[in-house]
Amino acid sequence: MRLLGIFAWSVVEDAMHRKVFYIILVLTMLLIFLIPLLPSAQLGVQVDLMRDAALGLTTIMAFILAIIMGATIIARDIERRTIYNIISKPVQRWQYYLGKFLGIMLVLAFTLALIFVVTVIFVFAKFHLFDPGLAKALFTIFLEASILTSLTMMASLYLSPLVCIFLAILFYVVAHVKGDYLYNLMNNGNPFAKVGAGFLYYILPNLERFNINETIAHGERVFRVGAMDLILLTLMAAAFSCIILYLGVYLFSRRDL
Amino acid sequence: MTTVLRIEDLKKSYRTGRKSPKRDAINGLNLEVNSGQILGLLGPNGAGKTTTLKSVLDLVSPDSGNIWLFGNKGISAEARKKMGFLPEQPYFELYLTPRKLLRYFGKLFGLEASAIEARISHLLNLVGLTEEADLSLNRFSKGMLQRMGIAQALISEPEFLILDEPSSGLDPMGKIHIKGILEDLRRGGTTILLSSHQLSEIEDICDGVAIIDRGRNVASGSLDELLQSEEQYEISLLEPLHDFSGGFPESASWEDEEKRGLNVKREDLNATLKLLMENGGSIAEVRQKRLSLEEYFINRVETSSERTEK
Repeated sequence: MRLLGIFAWSVVEDAMHRKVFYIILVLTMLLIFLIPLLPSAQLGVQVDLMRDAALGLTTIMAFILAIIMGATIIARDIERRTIYNIISKPVQRWQYYLGKFLGIMLVLAFTLALIFVVTVIFVFAKFHLFDPGLAKALFTIFLEASILTSLTMMASLYLSPLVCIFLAILFYVVAHVKGDYLYNLMNNGNPFAKVGAGFLYYILPNLERFNINETIAHGERVFRVGAMDLILLTLMAAAFSCIILYLGVYLFSRRDL
Repeated sequence: MTTVLRIEDLKKSYRTGRKSPKRDAINGLNLEVNSGQILGLLGPNGAGKTTTLKSVLDLVSPDSGNIWLFGNKGISAEARKKMGFLPEQPYFELYLTPRKLLRYFGKLFGLEASAIEARISHLLNLVGLTEEADLSLNRFSKGMLQRMGIAQALISEPEFLILDEPSSGLDPMGKIHIKGILEDLRRGGTTILLSSHQLSEIEDICDGVAIIDRGRNVASGSLDELLQSEEQYEISLLEPLHDFSGGFPESASWEDEEKRGLNVKREDLNATLKLLMENGGSIAEVRQKRLSLEEYFINRVETSSERTEK
């Protein structure tokens, strides 16, 4: 546990020294502040639109961070050979790998918490409305980001960062549209498409389940996101992340450095 | 004397491209490093030196063969607690300061905070970077980073130190400094495995050498044993023999203009001695010639290449 903490904290320190981290964070907050200036925002549904746009921006920011950090955090250590100084110490490779993953999760948690505080204060100042429900959407964004991070980290062991980023985006898109589209293709497509769609349908997580932005944006007036929903989503994210992390640790333990 | 590292019939091959055939980086390597010894690992580029070091540190997985560390088979985290490693051209996160970097590595060894701080002061003093302790590493020259590499390798007071090109990037003063550090470590009983292209460095510091070529250990032993030539002899005279003008066997040659010493091959030794005495020469000493490490190294690598080609 001690070593996991050391590696995780090294990722946090590393992120704090990267300009790209601050650029993404500041840009996201700036855009959130600019949402009320949108022409459509002055038509009457300002709060819903504000929440929807803020959550959309936060989703993009979190996924960019998750994918970039996942694709580069270990790859950079390998490429620059800083990993020689680490793995030659009395540490196990799985400790390094999981520590780095936890570090990315810490950075994401910190960033999302910051955005939550800023958005809640901003919504309160602008609309005199205290809106802690946003935390639920941010939590599911965090869960989804954990799956994306574990996948990009695993891919980064053998592929270049650019290819990893491309694959992660592809995974994100397919795993979001898979529900209806793949189901239809699986039942109505040609034989090859049926097999391919069936394979993707059963092997990929349905990430659309994590998307509760719209429900939260509308103040949970139509649907409510209860504690049980969040627990199930947490278990689902944990299961997928653990499987991918296990594969990643296995591949990393066999990789020559 | 205990054996700190024993490598037995180690093999490792790599594929250089996806479709290219596998190439042997190490091909049946055997090697031993004894406690308190400084062993120099020599070899031409691509001989398998770095792959050997990486195998010992568990950075690469050998295809076959065995590695024993401190008497135990395999490379456990427990064994690595007693080891320090300086990679070739070490690179660190440049936003860190020497103090933070050493603190981080100290924590990886599980050292107590107070022990880490004491060790940091000692090491920064040892490598001459005390004044730069809180400067970020992006201001450091290549030589300073190399010294930081040595400091991090020593953070846990290792019993066994593995150094890959420790003098790389250092100016002459830096090299002398490193040599001094290694001699201090030898006096303290640290076992060192040192890979270097600088033959003079190996000859100055090491007790023994192992020459690797094409992934095999082609010669190893103490420097005294290896450099003593069985083929060449040196004859020293008490007085210069200026008047003597010829008739020596073909392999005999004067060492210098002064004509007080002769080099000669073993098969011509008796004939040369007889000629010298017949011409009034007074023999002071006859001894096996000690080769320079460079002569020996070139000789062994060429012999190994000829054997492989045959």
